[in-house]
Amino acid sequence: MISDLINKQDSFEVVRDKIALILATESESQQSLAVAAGEDPAQWKLRVFTERSQPWNDWYVSGAPTDRAPIINVWYENGSFDSSSGDVIKTQLHRAIFNVDCIGLGVAKNTDAGHDSADELAAKEAQRAAKLVRNILMSGVYTRLDLTGTVFRRWVNSISLFQPNLSENSAFNALGARISLAVDFNETSPQVSGQPLELISIDITRSEDGQILAETDFIHTGAP
Amino acid sequence: MSLRVQAEKDLAHILENPKHFGWPLSVTDPDGNTNSDVIYGSSGDIGQVIDPDLGVAVAGRKAYVSIRISTLQDQGLCIPVAVPEKSKKPWRIGISDVNGNSYCFYVIDSMPDRTIGMVTCEIGLYE
Repeated sequence: MISDLINKQDSFEVVRDKIALILATESESQQSLAVAAGEDPAQWKLRVFTERSQPWNDWYVSGAPTDRAPIINVWYENGSFDSSSGDVIKTQLHRAIFNVDCIGLGVAKNTDAGHDSADELAAKEAQRAAKLVRNILMSGVYTRLDLTGTVFRRWVNSISLFQPNLSENSAFNALGARISLAVDFNETSPQVSGQPLELISIDITRSEDGQILAETDFIHTGAP
Repeated sequence: MSLRVQAEKDLAHILENPKHFGWPLSVTDPDGNTNSDVIYGSSGDIGQVIDPDLGVAVAGRKAYVSIRISTLQDQGLCIPVAVPEKSKKPWRIGISDVNGNSYCFYVIDSMPDRTIGMVTCEIGLYE
């Protein structure tokens, strides 16, 4: 039996949460840099969530959306374990796919020239958010996702955008860009707890005539 | 009287009667022409179930108006349509919800029914 309670986080949970933390932290940092550069910090704001199915619901409840910053949802999609990388006892290489969904909102607006339609604005907003996310995660600063020793590699496999169904004209548009991020890292598992041994020490020496001399020192607690 | 003509006249009761579901709204064309008299039509603005799978649309709010075509013509307006060109203003619909909040929408899609003389427009928020 496993003697210890399994109350640790697996590496894939740590990595997922780390990806979200990096994105949230960098979004804050970029907003500060934007202010210092005289830019509108709202253009660098990201609302980061993990493992959510509908984090954008508040956009549809209010009469007009208030917080329109792109929504980022980080979720673990799948993982595979390569039997040639690792051992059967403790450590296995986990090749995981994390999806980073970037949801952009578009609300049509009046312009001097004419107007900008919601579908176009939503697509460009989703793409803009995906650009920020890709740049952050593939930055040299995060080669190991700040988890050196655990993460060996991270790589953006693909970015997929989805056009809204043409029959689903909505009061405003939201569109998603999904970044598929592959991350390689180790997973460990509970190990066998060893039994305490009785300490036996032996000093072995060779005498001048070549005889081997052994001196032992131990406390015997077993049966006589 | 033709049943089609009768059906068109019935729109005055079905769409435009403020004691029923008739609701006041304004219509403005891309050139800025708007109705001088109050127009009544049927309108709706409802939330939809959102598909969490991003393989399909994630938009979840539907708004529409249905207007009698003859009423638009009486106001010197034609049938509203979607305007794809960014260099032009869209058809705009001004409307309030049942709680008195005013919204400006633009026409995303237009589905005229010339059989009975009614046009239904899907509309989106416009700022």
